[in-house]
Amino acid sequence: MITLILRRLLALPIILLVVYTITLTLAWAVPGSPLENPEKRPKPEVIEQMNKQYNLDSFPRFYFSYLRSATGYQYARDWISGELAREHEMAQSLGLPQPSRPIFDFGPSLKYDDKSVNEIVADSLPVSVTLGGSAILIALLIGIASGVIGAVKPNSVADLSTLGVAMVGISLPSFVTGTVLLLVFSIWLGWFPVAQWGTLRSIALPAFALSLPFAAYIARLTRMGMIEALGADYIRTARAKGNPERVVLLKHALKNAFLPVLSFLGPATAMAMTGSFVIERVFTVPGMGEHFISAVQNNDYFLIIGVVLVFSTMLIVFNLIVDILYRWIDPRIA
Amino acid sequence: MLRLLVPILLLMALVGVSVLSDSPSPRADLVFINSSDVNTLDPQRMSWMHDLRTARLLYEGLVRNDVLSEGFDIAPAVAASWSISPDARTYTFNLRPEARWSNGEPLTAEDFRYSWRRAMLPDLVSDYVNMFMLIRGAQEFYDWRLAELDAFAEGSFDSPAARQQAAYELWEETQAQFDAMVGMHAPDPHTLVIELERPVPYFLDICAFAVFDPVYEPLVAQYERPDPQTARLIRKPGWTRGGVLVSNGPFVLTRWRMKRDMRMEKNPHYWDRDSIAIDTIDIPSINDPNAGVLAYQTGAVDWIADVTAPYRGEMVAQKLEYLAEHAQEVERLRAQGLDQFSIDRMLPPDPRAHTHAVSSFGTYFYNFNCKPYLPDGQPNPFADARVRRAFAMCIDKKAVADQVRRLGEPTATTLIPPGSIGGYASPNGLPCISDAIDDAQRQSLIQQAKALLSEADYPQDFVVTLSFNKDAGHDLIAQTIAKSWQKHLGIQTRLDQKEIKIFREDLKDKRYMTARAGWFGDYGDPTTFLNINYSTDGNNDRAYNNPVYDSLLDRASVELDPVRRMEMLSEAERILIEEDLPLVPIFHYATIYMFDPHRITGISTHPRTKQNAFLIDVLGDGKGPEQPRTMHPSPSTTPHPQGARP
Repeated sequence: MITLILRRLLALPIILLVVYTITLTLAWAVPGSPLENPEKRPKPEVIEQMNKQYNLDSFPRFYFSYLRSATGYQYARDWISGELAREHEMAQSLGLPQPSRPIFDFGPSLKYDDKSVNEIVADSLPVSVTLGGSAILIALLIGIASGVIGAVKPNSVADLSTLGVAMVGISLPSFVTGTVLLLVFSIWLGWFPVAQWGTLRSIALPAFALSLPFAAYIARLTRMGMIEALGADYIRTARAKGNPERVVLLKHALKNAFLPVLSFLGPATAMAMTGSFVIERVFTVPGMGEHFISAVQNNDYFLIIGVVLVFSTMLIVFNLIVDILYRWIDPRIA
Repeated sequence: MLRLLVPILLLMALVGVSVLSDSPSPRADLVFINSSDVNTLDPQRMSWMHDLRTARLLYEGLVRNDVLSEGFDIAPAVAASWSISPDARTYTFNLRPEARWSNGEPLTAEDFRYSWRRAMLPDLVSDYVNMFMLIRGAQEFYDWRLAELDAFAEGSFDSPAARQQAAYELWEETQAQFDAMVGMHAPDPHTLVIELERPVPYFLDICAFAVFDPVYEPLVAQYERPDPQTARLIRKPGWTRGGVLVSNGPFVLTRWRMKRDMRMEKNPHYWDRDSIAIDTIDIPSINDPNAGVLAYQTGAVDWIADVTAPYRGEMVAQKLEYLAEHAQEVERLRAQGLDQFSIDRMLPPDPRAHTHAVSSFGTYFYNFNCKPYLPDGQPNPFADARVRRAFAMCIDKKAVADQVRRLGEPTATTLIPPGSIGGYASPNGLPCISDAIDDAQRQSLIQQAKALLSEADYPQDFVVTLSFNKDAGHDLIAQTIAKSWQKHLGIQTRLDQKEIKIFREDLKDKRYMTARAGWFGDYGDPTTFLNINYSTDGNNDRAYNNPVYDSLLDRASVELDPVRRMEMLSEAERILIEEDLPLVPIFHYATIYMFDPHRITGISTHPRTKQNAFLIDVLGDGKGPEQPRTMHPSPSTTPHPQGARP
């Protein structure tokens, strides 16, 4: 177990370095410049100055200067060389508060001048975690319940209808389900607010919309696992022992049927929590998903890399957590 | 079994913590949707319209535009009064002693010197640095600093410490050079003397531009330090955060969450605080055009500053229907000289009345590439002004405005929206086929155009390409124009739809034949539109080069007599839109607002489309005078020719 965790944690920086290299190369290849403004064009010397300031004129220089500040190397070096202390003294001598300087500096946003990537992620990540986490919880509730119902009476009306709903959940794009939910529950019925965020009521609808495809997938996984488990010998043994059906289903069968769901949960949670561009657009959720699209459109290199690195880290970490839980729940795996 | 619940409990804990850490606040007195997310709250770095609109809530310049006056007059702001020297080159502003920063500190002339110096530094890369070059010595100062930075980059130093030392010394020297070179002086804390390179009749209007607003040095200077490596001033983000930003306008920023919302509260130290009729403003970030309208309909939003929902054409049509139902009453009120919002307020309430199309300070047009050769090396027929004229005459502009755009926008023959600039008489422009009063006139226009083409030896089998970017309905406009040319001139056309970035690059490098374009004015002078056609201007996408046009602009820039100056500029525009046609104006933009005219007052109808949202009074909220704030005639100046068109 310990070696597994150590191995994964050691691999993390290497994976991130590869992700960083690929992302930057791709982002660099996109035509256009982050300094362009759609209607008015900055003067050439203005562009030249900006290029110099952010190393936008040279790929290798950008590549290494970003690495230095994002890994904390720059901070450490300034700390050792006494530069940080000097800055601190200067502020103190002027009687000013210290300007905050993060250890891991992911750079400024080129499009949103006043915000650093650290700040943007800090503002939007909690929102996406709330939305994604709620969506996964709803998905588990709906998915497992309908999966179990389906497995108990395969090919019954209840089974076929849950399967049907699951198919619809997977195939319908979320801008359709999202818009329909918004129209029906917010506009016609007025149960939920429009374009707000923060209260439980405002979270409910987008979380439900986001949960649908995950719920459908979980339902199918659970149903499959349950059907397989219900045919197994140990279930017959459990029934023969005279256990009530409830215990057989929930204690013995579901425990095994849940394992595939659990391994799906790792990437699913990471995916749901790093935001869905479409759901965020439709419900005006201030999460991270939008940055994936708009940062690319704006050639905002710092922000693109920032959100991709956050996503990769979450993916790796959630997979690790799931692996740990897996071994703990099912000792056969170790 | 319990173990199975662990992952679920973990998830629930995570969600619970993040929900609890988020605290929603009560609705503000005024909630409005800006057209887009604010890019920056640093006035000297601004260039977007929605940034400037937000800046006017937080900051205040020397003077401001009285947006509710019909003449868009200059009104005192931080400067209580000013005087202009007889040679019109020296402006002396008397700052009001009661002007304060939002932390209570007094605002002085030095604050303006600091802020304007920031904008003049090449380090800051201000988009509007050109406007500051009107001040005496600013260009020399800019060039000097640029040269010093280049020298520093090439210089060699014994040690990193020596390099850093030199960087700081250069910064000290830069500040001293600014004092010595630039014509901005503060003889006492409340007097600011500004010397100009040349007389600039619209200088006060420029001073009302938010880029000229002051920033608080003790705060900003912390975030701007010379880089020890390059000696360039490095900007760190952070001073514009909510609760941190110190500003001098009617409101202070209390919260700004990226992509989420911005909250402002009335500035208790603002000198004119008693005239502000709202205590709090919320600017939620709603980027989906449809969600914005829905939020308005549920009452969560009071004003949408730019409705872009795809069905806004229908919304405008319904408004026109509503006005038609009350045609008599509307006529009567219009005869009284009421502005469009006041008329709406006198009519019975109706949700259809909440949509408002207001004329904008911008024009949609088509560019012609004027280079002698096209990118593929063949001769460019559009290098000939006669060809451009012929093509311009045969566009059905009315079809574009009425059938494609459907926002009640006026068709355009001029680049500058007529009537938007006081004292400026717009030329007539070249009529197009949809301007013809009858079929005979229409046929004669087409015959004239054909004659021009044969005179210019226009190649018969030439295929004309129309370039445009793929969003916002530009494709339909291009189709309409292409159809006009096919039908009336028998021209073969090809539509070339591009992704916006490629499109922009192509315009910059002149890789097109004809292309869509648009321009919005920044300040109240014709040069804000005309300069983009100056041969060496960075926005001259047409590669237009007419020495007569350039010399008219040059001469106007040194002309002291305002009337003669306007005549020169009018002549320049006449050459542009009647003779040379490097661009064909198609229509003047309208902006669509959404607000309840019975509740929200204080929004301007002036074609400059500049709103000072702090003037808004929400009727019925018990705050402020509860009197409708409407357009009023300009007090002193002579009435300027409104829309001097036939």
